Amino acid sequence: MTVAEQRLEQTLPPVRRQAVDWLPYVLLLPTVVFLAVFFVYPMLQAFVLSFRSPEGAITLRYFQAMLKDTYFAGALRNSFLLTAIIIPLQVVLALVIALLINTRFQGHPWFLFICAIPLGISDLGAGLIWSSFFTERGYLNLILQNLGLINEPITFLSFERPAWLYGAIVATEVWRATAIVMVILVAGLQLIPKDYFETADVFGASSWRKLRYVTLPLLRPALQTALIIRTILAFQLFATVIVMAGRIVPVLAGEAYFQYGLLRNVNIASAYAVLIMTLSMTITIFYLWLLRTKEEELGRG
Amino acid sequence: MKLWRIATLLAVTILAASAPLGSAPAVEITWSSTQLNPVNEQEWARNTMLRPFEEESGMRVRFVSDLAGPFIDRLVAEARAGRGSVDIIGTLHGDYPLLVAEGAVQDVAAILRQLDGRPDRTFVPDLVRAGQIGGIQSFVPWMQATYLIAAHKQAMRYFPAGRDPMRMTYDDLLQWGENIRSATGQRRIGFPASPTGLYGRFLHGYAYPSFTGSQVKKFKSPEAVSMWRYLRRLWGVSHPSSFTYGFMNEPLLRGEVWVAWDHVARLLPAFRERPDDFVALPSPAGPRGRSFLSVIVGLGIPKNSPNPEAAARLIEYLTRPRTQVLTLQGVGFFPVVREAAGVVPTGGLKVMAEGVTAQATATDARTALLPIGLGARTGEFVPLYLETFTLIAIQGRNIEQVLNDQARKLEEMYRTTNAPCPPPDSAERPCRPD
Repeated sequence: MTVAEQRLEQTLPPVRRQAVDWLPYVLLLPTVVFLAVFFVYPMLQAFVLSFRSPEGAITLRYFQAMLKDTYFAGALRNSFLLTAIIIPLQVVLALVIALLINTRFQGHPWFLFICAIPLGISDLGAGLIWSSFFTERGYLNLILQNLGLINEPITFLSFERPAWLYGAIVATEVWRATAIVMVILVAGLQLIPKDYFETADVFGASSWRKLRYVTLPLLRPALQTALIIRTILAFQLFATVIVMAGRIVPVLAGEAYFQYGLLRNVNIASAYAVLIMTLSMTITIFYLWLLRTKEEELGRG
Repeated sequence: MKLWRIATLLAVTILAASAPLGSAPAVEITWSSTQLNPVNEQEWARNTMLRPFEEESGMRVRFVSDLAGPFIDRLVAEARAGRGSVDIIGTLHGDYPLLVAEGAVQDVAAILRQLDGRPDRTFVPDLVRAGQIGGIQSFVPWMQATYLIAAHKQAMRYFPAGRDPMRMTYDDLLQWGENIRSATGQRRIGFPASPTGLYGRFLHGYAYPSFTGSQVKKFKSPEAVSMWRYLRRLWGVSHPSSFTYGFMNEPLLRGEVWVAWDHVARLLPAFRERPDDFVALPSPAGPRGRSFLSVIVGLGIPKNSPNPEAAARLIEYLTRPRTQVLTLQGVGFFPVVREAAGVVPTGGLKVMAEGVTAQATATDARTALLPIGLGARTGEFVPLYLETFTLIAIQGRNIEQVLNDQARKLEEMYRTTNAPCPPPDSAERPCRPD
């Protein structure tokens, strides 16, 4: 084998260094092609479908139909509300876990590994796991009954208790998607040079001050990435909600799915998709502005 | 060197001997179906139902299960493109009018005639008639199904005293739920009201015709108003997690629900797992009779099927009495050829078959069919009834007002598509809610 490999290498011409180094572009090409075919093209098509009438004219009728839809107002409210509850919880929790891992305590690789397990589980899978936890004959009731805290099982997933439904969705999402934020933050923490902390130690900074004035500012790019990814994904939230709450808690991505899969209204489904995209982009731009590294901060000694 | 030569010779000989086996062009056909969609049913279709056919014919069948939306889109797109990749389809009879209108399926009258001529095959005439759409025979009947009530035996003692469960009325069902609630403090009637459930069928095919004698025409009639009042009360004694139920066998087996209404195929796993625990009861009767939906699934051949002869062979296999009985045992869909009816099922299937017979042969039985002729807007029909339910029973809005608003949408849908009223209404077109 090794002989063959050597021969192969000999037959290949040595990589010549040209004026333009094409290698990065070549390496990027598959990703670009993939994104163009599976993201950009469908995105443009969704735009066309949501604005073009069967006669070919530009129309707002699909957006009007979307606004008039029985589930629209609830879906918009729920999508915003769930995002607003879930994301701060996830960021705080992920930050705590990431800082804990960064202390490199005994056995921290195992801790990291266990915390990252939900990354490998699909949203639908997570929804099913947690719904079997919350049903009337689920694990939660079993635990509570065995502890003697309740006599009769409690119906957690009830249309009469929307707050509990929200709670179940939030618990599932926090469990499922905190890991991605955590992984990004751990990577961000490891990029912070040790020198800063050593300098802070020399000046006798407390742990809290080091966190507040060294770690968090330098973690800003990682936080930005994590927030953008999580917010975009939160607006796509759908499978867990369907499993836990059916259409009692409508969400935007779910309505897009029902408009296509159930009602077969491709155009209204596209209108929902365009709305989700616009919201995600607006919030992304807001994050970029909010968490930008200010000029004066760069110069501050 | 000599050893090397012998080895090469041996290798070449083995290759040459096995070549016809390996390189024979095995015929592969693609079967796209909206039925047998749950993963375990797909597994069953591939490994149990299709295996004998593949062995006897030497063909390979690629069974592709799809949701109705993408399924129809694909067939229509392939018909328009003039080039197809699907050889045979299996779907609900309600999907065929659109496929016929789009010119996406072939006339299968010749295949049906040939099959019907065989001594072992007599198709149920009503099912054959349902396939005659737009001047062609659009499908060969494949399977049929209906919806029933499954009840845990421990619930039977709460059934209203002096009443016959096999002749249950809607009032009995409500009283039953109230009895269970007052005795146990729990709501144990369940409906598949999640987005993956079939509760919409209960509304338009069972409740509406049983209370008003109509699915569409009497949508906002005084009878409909009293029906919605009743449904509100029934929802009040139904399990508050009903909106999360897709397949009722699950809450039945968990013991969360004691009395459940659902599609036979979705109740069957409960009967199969614990045949001694459950009974199958006919759907209830209302003031206008005991309405039930007859679900017909048909096999069709797409217009641009690459291999219609192979598709015809598969149709022949699937409608054989033995395959039909296998299908009943496997997934709970009932046979469409009379010759298969002689086989007496056992265990949970027997309990269920009794329920089906009790429902179909009741003196007050009335058959409702799925709506046809709505074309591209077929998908909006059931959600409209579900939405009406959400507004009235869950959000508690004014019944008359909701019915007026929803009837306008229904009327617009029928006016635009010029579709006929589904039975039991007379087939006038366009159908109009009075």
